[in-house]
Amino acid sequence: MKTIIKSLIIAGLATATYAKTPASATAENLINAQRVSNINVANISPSDNIWKNAKSVSVIFYPQTTIKLNDAKANATNKDNKAITAQVSAVYNNSAVAFKISWSDPTQSVQSGNVSDVYPDGFAMQMPVSFSDPKKLPYIGMGSEGRLVLVHLTKATSVHYEPNGNGDVEHQISPHNKNAFGADLKNYNDKVNKLGKNAYTRSFISEGFRSMTELKDGSDKFGMKMTYDAKSKRWTGVVAKQLRDGAADLSKYGALPVSFAIWDGDKYNRGGVKSLSTWLAVKLQGKAGGDALVKELTAKPQGDVKAGQAQVEAMCASCHTLSPTKQAASPFMAPNLNNIGGYSTNAYLAESIKDPNAVVVAGYNRNAHKGFAWYNVDAKTGKRTSTMPAMMSDDKSINDAVAYLKTLKAEVAK
Amino acid sequence: MSKRQLAMVMDLNKCIGCQTCTVACKTQWTNRNGREYMYWNNVETYPGDGYPKKWMELGGGFDAAGDLKEGVIPNIEADYGVPWDFSYDEIATFNFRENNPTAAFHADSTPTWGPNWDEDEGAGNFPSDNYFFYLPRICNHCTNPGCLSACPRDAIFKRDEDGVVLVDLDRCQGYRYCIAGCPYKKIYFNSKISKSEKCILCFPRIEQGLPPACAQQCVGRIRFVGFLDDEEGQVHKLVHKYKVALPLRSDYGTQPNVYYIPPTEAPAKFDAEGKIIEGSQRVPMKELETLFGKDVHAAIKTIKAEKDKRAKTGESELMDLLIAYHHEDMFRLDANYYQDVAKAKGANPLAPIDSRYAKGKFTKEIHFKAHA
Repeated sequence: MKTIIKSLIIAGLATATYAKTPASATAENLINAQRVSNINVANISPSDNIWKNAKSVSVIFYPQTTIKLNDAKANATNKDNKAITAQVSAVYNNSAVAFKISWSDPTQSVQSGNVSDVYPDGFAMQMPVSFSDPKKLPYIGMGSEGRLVLVHLTKATSVHYEPNGNGDVEHQISPHNKNAFGADLKNYNDKVNKLGKNAYTRSFISEGFRSMTELKDGSDKFGMKMTYDAKSKRWTGVVAKQLRDGAADLSKYGALPVSFAIWDGDKYNRGGVKSLSTWLAVKLQGKAGGDALVKELTAKPQGDVKAGQAQVEAMCASCHTLSPTKQAASPFMAPNLNNIGGYSTNAYLAESIKDPNAVVVAGYNRNAHKGFAWYNVDAKTGKRTSTMPAMMSDDKSINDAVAYLKTLKAEVAK
Repeated sequence: MSKRQLAMVMDLNKCIGCQTCTVACKTQWTNRNGREYMYWNNVETYPGDGYPKKWMELGGGFDAAGDLKEGVIPNIEADYGVPWDFSYDEIATFNFRENNPTAAFHADSTPTWGPNWDEDEGAGNFPSDNYFFYLPRICNHCTNPGCLSACPRDAIFKRDEDGVVLVDLDRCQGYRYCIAGCPYKKIYFNSKISKSEKCILCFPRIEQGLPPACAQQCVGRIRFVGFLDDEEGQVHKLVHKYKVALPLRSDYGTQPNVYYIPPTEAPAKFDAEGKIIEGSQRVPMKELETLFGKDVHAAIKTIKAEKDKRAKTGESELMDLLIAYHHEDMFRLDANYYQDVAKAKGANPLAPIDSRYAKGKFTKEIHFKAHA
């Protein structure tokens, strides 16, 4: 009996702390990047000196629930996912910016060897290719048409190879097929290993879900690394990128929008099943400008939550799932808004309610749920038009709706 | 849907389960580069668990409303089976003079499953009512592919020229939703390159007018290959004119393009004394219905009627087709067709015509304009 009471008390305490944590952390959405002298972009490491004085802030990562893909095991495992908290810090200098992100993961998952259903842990950083209006940032889910993002991704893999072995097809033959033994076989295997890459680190340009395209021309100047500490059961990842390279130019801003994603391989996480942050403002300390961005991304919604709820439930709930208890008629009808408050910005929500065509979420493969097209494509121009009609036009209703939608998000795990 | 569709018909009455097709495919495509465990073509015994293990129970395909269904991604050791190797290297370097001269010849793993693991087991009691037949399977190059529909990156595409379904290896990022989405589990994960790969219907051969390796090498002459809209072709006749070739598990909703002549020629059952039960059906119709749908009744009726007609009159176009007097007649391919497609695109007629596939393999530079 004593234990039960004790655990009840603990549970009570936990809820109490939970109520505080997300409020302060999400309201912030601000990372202060300290100026450092030298950032080794290509070989950035968590043990670099630059991190010594960098202060970390808590950032909350919400489970991606906008669409539900078709892996039965992944869906079952991630059904009741909570939001997770990571510690993020940033540094910058004239030519580069770097982030350190640390999160708890009780299981270290590395994709290695001959496997079919093993997935690696990993993390990614997303930044707009360019931006001018802080109210019109790219869609958080890998950008949108005309609002491109650059994504840097790394996954915990052991050796992996290019499909055509960078042209060296001869050294892709299985050692068993090679008529070689002893020292010859060892030499062969050594050569094969040299062709492999140890980290699955890539960059992509994307203008919306499904459009992500890998950069292979070397124009992206960046570096990533992730290390697992078995004692504390935490991953620490670092990513550094040049502010101006062939893929994007972010050198003129005093503050940058950035977002991150985390994959938990143990829970079958990979593209489509992950946890992601909203757009965060990175203030480059001591550099002028960017105040509008910081203000926009740290602003709290001003509307009336109750009034917004009444409107949203009346106007949106027939197509959009709002929470596990407020399900739409079909899960494939429209983007699921379960966690929309966690990873969307106020401006994005307001814009989408007013003009659904401003950002058209690409969503599912067009062949997967043919009865539920999220958009129509103009045969001549290729332009996408959302099948959602504009719902509200007066600012009061929109602000109220945004205030309610911002409350739609998973609980934060302790 | 593609402009034209290549299809294959397999005559299950003639398949002897020799696995020559399997080996032809393996040596052509899957004995290297991380594909070692894959069988783009396999021949399994039905009834049986098949390859990968119990693939029919792993989900994928579409429901009645046309929505893609959830599926399970098989495990490499438990469901596919890991190819093992013997200790050749150890033997080659073993010093028999200094060591105890026993041959150190052993497998490098203890397999628990593999393709054709339950070969010839079948069902029923020997000899009264046991039965089995062979079911050769390749990718069905579906008209409504589950793998393509499951890909959140649009990395899988269906060629307009002939409906062949291919993976763009440049776009593929190894998410593996395609494996869950394919109800036939005929798309595989290559862990070496961390991308999905599948049967390509030997498109580089097809484009030169040659049949796929599995069909070319088939000693039982069970495989017909041709365009479904080619009314003079055997494939069209078997599928559309006589309606004796049926798709496998069409209830999955992917509209597969490999068709099967159902097995009709099993001996009758025996009674307790070992005497023939006249008119009995050794292969249960229920099983055939599960595999090939309700149309299997009409198909079997047609085959039997044509067989009788041939016996009585000496004439039956259907029987002539199924006998396949000349192997080359079983393939109605057309290199000129592909050359015309290439010409229309302004491409080199001798290069593989699908620019998207070629680009995926060799592209060094795919790039959106920066600062746009």
